[in-house]
Amino acid sequence: MTAEYRAGGTDLMERRASGRSTGHIIDLYDQGLRSIEPTPDGGFRIGAMVTVDTLATDPVLAKAYPALSKTAGSLATPQIRRAATVGGVLLQKTRCRYYRNEHYECLKTGGTGCPARDNPGERAVVLDVGPCVAPHPSSVALAMLIYDAVAEVDRSPSRRVADLYSDGARDHLLEDGELLTAITLPPPVEGERAGYKRAISRASAEWPLAEAVAHLTVRDGVIIRAGVAVGGVAAVPLRLAGVEQALTGQPPSEELFTRSLDWTAAFPETAYKIPLAETLIRDVLTQAL
Amino acid sequence: MRLTFNGGSREHDPAPDDTAAEVIRTAFGATGTKVSCGAGVCGACTILVDGEPKVSCLLPAAHLDGTSVTTVEGIGGDHPVQRAFVELDALQCGFCTPGFVTEATAFHDRWREDREGVPSREEVADALSGHLCRCGAYENILTAVQKACAGAFDDREPIPARVEAPDKVTGAAEYTVDVTLENMLHGAIVRSSQPHARVTFELPEDSVRLLEGDIVRYTGQPIAAVAAGTLEEARKIAHALKISYEPLPSVVDPDEARRPDAPVIFDQNERKNAPSSAEGAGFPARWKGNVRSGYPSAWRGRTARKRLDAARERNAPGYFAATFTTAGQSHTALEPHASVADWRADGLTLYTSTQGLGHIKAAVAKRWSPPKVEVIARHVGGGFGAKLSLGTDAVAAIELSRKTGHPVKVEMSRAEELTDTGYRPGTRTELRMLGTPTGGLAAISLDVAGHGGVSTGSMVATLGLMMYGRGPRHFRDRDIIGNAPPASPFRGPGGPPFAWAVEQGVDEIAHRLGADPLKLRRTWDGNLRRRALYEIAEELPLWRERPIGAQTGRFRRGVGVAAANWIYTADVDTKIEITVRDGRIVARTATQDIGTGVRTVIRNAIRDVFDDAEIVVELGHSGAPHGPVAGGSRSTASVGPAARDAARKLADHLDGKPVSEAEGVTVVGQRPKDKGGSAVPVSMDHMRIGRGLAGAVHMTEVEVDTLLGHTRVLKVWGGIAVGTVYSRQTARNQCEGGIVQGIGYALYEERITDPRTGVVLSANLEDYRLPGIKDTPEMTIHFHEDGWDHVPGGGIGLGEVCTISVAASVANAVFNATGFRPLDLPIRPDRLLEGMPR
Repeated sequence: MTAEYRAGGTDLMERRASGRSTGHIIDLYDQGLRSIEPTPDGGFRIGAMVTVDTLATDPVLAKAYPALSKTAGSLATPQIRRAATVGGVLLQKTRCRYYRNEHYECLKTGGTGCPARDNPGERAVVLDVGPCVAPHPSSVALAMLIYDAVAEVDRSPSRRVADLYSDGARDHLLEDGELLTAITLPPPVEGERAGYKRAISRASAEWPLAEAVAHLTVRDGVIIRAGVAVGGVAAVPLRLAGVEQALTGQPPSEELFTRSLDWTAAFPETAYKIPLAETLIRDVLTQAL
Repeated sequence: MRLTFNGGSREHDPAPDDTAAEVIRTAFGATGTKVSCGAGVCGACTILVDGEPKVSCLLPAAHLDGTSVTTVEGIGGDHPVQRAFVELDALQCGFCTPGFVTEATAFHDRWREDREGVPSREEVADALSGHLCRCGAYENILTAVQKACAGAFDDREPIPARVEAPDKVTGAAEYTVDVTLENMLHGAIVRSSQPHARVTFELPEDSVRLLEGDIVRYTGQPIAAVAAGTLEEARKIAHALKISYEPLPSVVDPDEARRPDAPVIFDQNERKNAPSSAEGAGFPARWKGNVRSGYPSAWRGRTARKRLDAARERNAPGYFAATFTTAGQSHTALEPHASVADWRADGLTLYTSTQGLGHIKAAVAKRWSPPKVEVIARHVGGGFGAKLSLGTDAVAAIELSRKTGHPVKVEMSRAEELTDTGYRPGTRTELRMLGTPTGGLAAISLDVAGHGGVSTGSMVATLGLMMYGRGPRHFRDRDIIGNAPPASPFRGPGGPPFAWAVEQGVDEIAHRLGADPLKLRRTWDGNLRRRALYEIAEELPLWRERPIGAQTGRFRRGVGVAAANWIYTADVDTKIEITVRDGRIVARTATQDIGTGVRTVIRNAIRDVFDDAEIVVELGHSGAPHGPVAGGSRSTASVGPAARDAARKLADHLDGKPVSEAEGVTVVGQRPKDKGGSAVPVSMDHMRIGRGLAGAVHMTEVEVDTLLGHTRVLKVWGGIAVGTVYSRQTARNQCEGGIVQGIGYALYEERITDPRTGVVLSANLEDYRLPGIKDTPEMTIHFHEDGWDHVPGGGIGLGEVCTISVAASVANAVFNATGFRPLDLPIRPDRLLEGMPR
């Protein structure tokens, strides 16, 4: 069994207890990686051990990257946000009920089948991009995608955060032993506004059925820049480039924000998520105006 | 590592997998910090790390190096938040309280530093949103934090609303999970990984067999228990124990289990061994395959069915038929089932998290006959019906202690707790009703199948004998047996699923007849106490201003109402012993406080006679005179009158002299008989069913986001008719908790069992969703106190009646808002979105 890095521990410690992680632990607690530094081009470099709570509450980050800040402030609970880290939330393991249950083997535990595929339930994916049918758990990844964030990895070249994923078979594409050390964000855009929303049963503290994040920059009555991503619908965090293109160059309006998603649900149980995602997109775009 | 712990310096060398919570509880011996979900969801384990609240159950112990840690013990006892919690009754069982207090003090201190005035309800709820309270004491928690922030408790001692509150807000209250004895071993349970199989295995040393016979009938069934020096070691040994399974055909899903060709789970000889989820004896029944059908309970049953058939034929406007379903509901007490057994030559001491220590004592004596038995439950972190009988934890701890000669502790993990410590059975109800606007309920029929896994005893339909007058009626209860864990009694057994179907049925008929649902109930319902509640409810602005007719728009508001009743029971043999010790009145009885406030009921009953004496209430030891089981809403009507009787006896003895004159004097109070006798003139296990039914009416306002399928409960009015209330603050708190639990049942909670493997998938608090502080509505509780003069003390218990009709009132409010009739519980967003008329 290979070693695993431990950052805040909020995902790993639960998997240690349930038997899903049994190898050696390399603790990053005293490895620094906690700084937030401006970059020469006017962006920011955020250390992998910076907490989610800092993403949510740091006033400089909140002004520069409101979509990131709002997303971070909406996930899990205050106590988890104070322990969980930027690196950890991007590289966390799936929350699939079967993966998290020691009674099962699945594609992500070294097994051959996917027990969730036979009994997907209302929480499964809409878009069947890979063998795994559980949605990707990272909300923060969605925000990183729409900011074109770049991940620094210790043993290989930096890559776009988007390129950490795009494989439904794995939760992320880093090799064993590779360490994500920082995230670099391009320079903030003056006048940008943002929205984030998740669909859940309770008022808070729940993994989303679906979620959406957006940023908009409007100049002279026209959208000059848009970022839109949705979660809870695929085994990878999903940026909607087509929606972004359709918005750009247009004057904002409710009609423009009412996007219809050209999706076919992989399971009848998750068909409801398509109108749900459409509503969330309209809601977050409205928030971002 | 080196750290500052509650002001002192500590060194410790943690293992890589050690959590901060484990080190704090075990190595540092500070058991105020509780571990409940083990997954960072419930917040019971919250500690301050350099002033920041964090969950310690997921925090690696190594991350404490160089920090300053404060736990609830380190906060002291005089913090304004603690004082506010004590005086404003911001707790019930108290197991979540250290976490809430720790987080709230951090919030308070920050608020007072940076801000002025009172934080809003929303601000407090946001700050505390990472904490769960299964008792549902959120309303008082919100108020307490607001008042503390406003400075109301800066410079005065609180007046405790609840006798034991000071111990619960400081972490001093000792629960079974906190008990550590010298040379104690830890036990772990070996469980079946198969839904149905014949098993063979060899036991290692320091282990005991738990399985009777050689057949396991559900995944998770206890097979054996092993003991070792630490819990980790014990779990390792349990995990490594080789069980050979010879698989037998299995069926988990009730819809498949009821089919004639399904594999049979209990053959004729084994049926009597099926566990029961009923409180008490259960009902006689006939078996066919996996279907166990009770005999119909009917009143002019043939007429009922004839009328219903005819009404269906002619499409009568007051006829309604539908199939309702409810999911299984897990009790999820935040303190898991746990026991510490110390078996010695001269007798057994059993610490156990129980609702019935007297009952446990009798069961232990009968099963093992030790020379003597003492059962101890000083504080119990919630029960809700799951801790009424001798459980796997107690059996394993006793057997292992007897075998090893050491004290042994057995504590359920959250996954074990959510898998195999019982649940409210799921149900499928065929309801048929015929109503008339003025003439009453013309006919009703219910056929209810209970889904309690391998257990029998679902009783839902039969409760219809108690509701809505004496019109013709036909009721039948069945159990569909499947290869899934057994159910158990849960707060008002059968009541919530009954109300889910019948109270929606009444609402639907009112809608179809164009009648006012409250007026219709008042016409149909002969119960005087509930009729009084209807009359008050009809005048509420919430009702008078409710929306009528179809709504458009995304957010729709609706108001719904539902009613409930429950039998009145009391433990007629209850005795309260009073001794004057050091000038104080010390009351004792063999019962336990699971968070319902029974200590406070006893104190208040004594205080009615001695209004300025210091009163101490000592509960939680089986050696005290006989006291009630905390079940069937019986505690208040049992201990209240007995305590008052004891106080009057002491007063007679004193004959006007001060209490200090009676130092060392002991008197024993008994529960006087009801005027006019009881409804059933025999006792069952000390309990008697009295005359009259407790009543409740709930009125609920919701707002539905029709695009996201989200239902938010805005307001709930609860009218409760249980006579005189002994302890107003704790009673109101319990009624509010009943509402919160009812909202959880209606909207979030869903026990999910994999249909093929029988594995319970909702075995953690992320997948099994309890209502949180931000889901708490504005609540108003109204007590109607007339009508119980025949009961000594004039009042009865309310623990069950206060929750039964809540979920149905939520459903009726959703219907009022959207036109969607939620037949399936819980009302999940996906169901709402798919079911809503477009």
